[in-house]
Amino acid sequence: MLVVALVLAGSIWVRLAYWQVIEHSQLAGQAQAQYREVVQLPATRGVILDRNLTQLVVNTTVYSAFVSPDQITAAQRDQVAGGLASVLGVDKGSVMTTLASGAKFAYIARRFSQDKADKLRALQLPGVGLEDDTQRAYLPGAGPGTTLAANLLGFVNYNGDGQYGLEAQYQNVLAGTPGYISSYRDLANREIVLGSHSQQDPVNGSDLVLSLDANIQYAAEQALADGVKKDKAESGSVLIMDPSTGGIVAWADYPSYNANDFNQTDPSLFLDNVASSVYEPGSVMKVVTLAGAINSGAITPNTVINDPGYLSVGGYRIYDWDRRNHGNINYTYVLEHSLNVGAMKAMQAEGHAAFYSYLQGFGLTKPSGIDVAAEDAVAPPPASQMADSQYATSSFGQGIDVNMVQMLAAVNVIANGGKYAPPHVVERVGTQINPLLLQPQRQVISAAAASQMTAMMEAVVQHGSGFTSIVKGFALDQTAKTGTSQIPVNGQYTQDVWASFVGFLPAQHPRFTMLVVIRKPHAAGSDRDWTLNDGYITAGPIWQKIAQAMVVDWRITPDPS
Amino acid sequence: MGRSTNHKRSNVTAQVSATHEEYVLTSTRILARRRLIVSGSAPHVSAPTRRRRRTRGFVQVAGSAAARRLRLTGFGHAYLGLGAVVIIGLFYLALAAQITQSSYQIAQLQDQQSQLIAVQDQLRYQEVTAHAPAQVQHQAAQSGLQRVAPATYVPGQPLAIDLGAPVGASAGDTTPLWMKAVAAVVNTLGGTRDVMAATTK
Repeated sequence: MLVVALVLAGSIWVRLAYWQVIEHSQLAGQAQAQYREVVQLPATRGVILDRNLTQLVVNTTVYSAFVSPDQITAAQRDQVAGGLASVLGVDKGSVMTTLASGAKFAYIARRFSQDKADKLRALQLPGVGLEDDTQRAYLPGAGPGTTLAANLLGFVNYNGDGQYGLEAQYQNVLAGTPGYISSYRDLANREIVLGSHSQQDPVNGSDLVLSLDANIQYAAEQALADGVKKDKAESGSVLIMDPSTGGIVAWADYPSYNANDFNQTDPSLFLDNVASSVYEPGSVMKVVTLAGAINSGAITPNTVINDPGYLSVGGYRIYDWDRRNHGNINYTYVLEHSLNVGAMKAMQAEGHAAFYSYLQGFGLTKPSGIDVAAEDAVAPPPASQMADSQYATSSFGQGIDVNMVQMLAAVNVIANGGKYAPPHVVERVGTQINPLLLQPQRQVISAAAASQMTAMMEAVVQHGSGFTSIVKGFALDQTAKTGTSQIPVNGQYTQDVWASFVGFLPAQHPRFTMLVVIRKPHAAGSDRDWTLNDGYITAGPIWQKIAQAMVVDWRITPDPS
Repeated sequence: MGRSTNHKRSNVTAQVSATHEEYVLTSTRILARRRLIVSGSAPHVSAPTRRRRRTRGFVQVAGSAAARRLRLTGFGHAYLGLGAVVIIGLFYLALAAQITQSSYQIAQLQDQQSQLIAVQDQLRYQEVTAHAPAQVQHQAAQSGLQRVAPATYVPGQPLAIDLGAPVGASAGDTTPLWMKAVAAVVNTLGGTRDVMAATTK
């Protein structure tokens, strides 16, 4: 009898030991999960401001309506469905179906505005709840259905993750660190205040202050949209830089999109053509080629060469755009009339090695490192692997791929007295100044060479193809260079072109450097004469319009002559 | 007489030793120290280390005093303890109810706060949008305003001052000497510090 009792007691003890010792941690975890809840305290995402501290994006609260059908009686269903349909504009029939399902939880409408939420609250419908969430709201842009600087800023998806542009690049900085409250909760999910309680406060995200100017951005978007439509182009982009700092003042793309409605947008529009796509810069590259040759002492603006209209290099005969014999000309004339032969001869005069080192110095052999997500860049082959013909075509901007940021930063070296200003968009993160701004700038060419190049670029406006960009009062005080390069398809150049226009103003004390690129323009009459798509005809007027707005907005006056 | 006095003293001592032991010990130590000072012994000689005794708390002292007066039995002690526990329990419940009520009020206020923040966000968006370039241009156009591009600029005049020239020594003080002397005297008497600083090299 005693043995039986001991066996029974022993089996009970063994079982108890099993639950209390071996299974202890698992059961304790299950129990914790039932009565302890960790509520996340979201961090407020940092806002983005322009250089004048205009807020470019605002955090707003949106609401989602949900129902608990199991808490709504059959008699109440019609009233609830009617109320939801009248306020939220949802289909009453589908709401009735949801309510009849008897489920515990179902969303009725997601992410609607405060006024609808207020109306719904006032109805006090049984079994209906509201859930609030944060959403980024961006300023309206120039075009209908667009937001300002959408391609630069990117957007934030419903999970709070930055997508594209600055929102993606600075996700960690903007998002901050969420906190939490860990506490006991009752059946109604109310906190039991006398239970144990631990809390970690959230750390809000930092604000970004950009070098962007919202007014100039708007003017750029407007002029670009008008220009692209007028020229029946596929797309276009504008990039404006502060010459002394490298800060981006405007970053416009057309077509663009509405970042407030990103889930209804064609994803191909999210890609930005300024930094995320490369193009052949065409004659704009002559600025880099001639500046390097002048700095190395191989040429001067007045060096005379003979231009018969073509040059044979590496077994290829390469022509000027007009295929004309220009006779004896100097390098100022070469730039004014954008002659390929002159650019090739300048490159040859300084030599391949020097030319390549200037490509490196001007930042065209590696990504610019701009602080925007998804920069794309195609490095040229190593100097030793480049053929003679590739050196020749690179000197006038064909056979070499760059993105707009790289190209503008390179031309900006001339505006900045020969120094390379690293391109950037963010000037401050919270109260911290962007370290790029505190670093010394790299001297690429001498100030004297930059000054000579500036004079040559002024001549382009006064005597060459840059006349379409003349801003009233600045005819003698602005610089320009046009560029038109054919677009290769499957290794063959087509009649479609990238048309571009670059320049800075005022010439001697530049306040901005601007690059306009138009892709595949089809200007009136260009089906008969494709040169009507040239940069000075398509991109130049857009440059002029934006520069005019900047002159007024920034109160720029010409230097006394 | 003398015996009764002694008897009384011993009773008092016994009571004191039972209830105010620390008082007695302290008094004894003070007396001992006084004796040492009077007898001219070295004042820095410390007393031998004594074992610290647990001090009796107010509750124990009051409890034992009440028990003595009420002449409580064992059951009396139990009832008293139970009563105290019940009172403490009720006090705890009242406190818990109050805290729970407060926590619900806090939750309600947090709800209100989040709604007010939402309204604030909405107002901020309206404000920012009202100042957005698109809105400004739209309203300007509605008002019939348009941006005018300046056609000409006033030609710049050459500057009379050479801004590039190195900065030389500042111009000398042309104040007459007698005026400086008067100022120095007046300032010294009047004590005008900043004027003195300006006139003193």
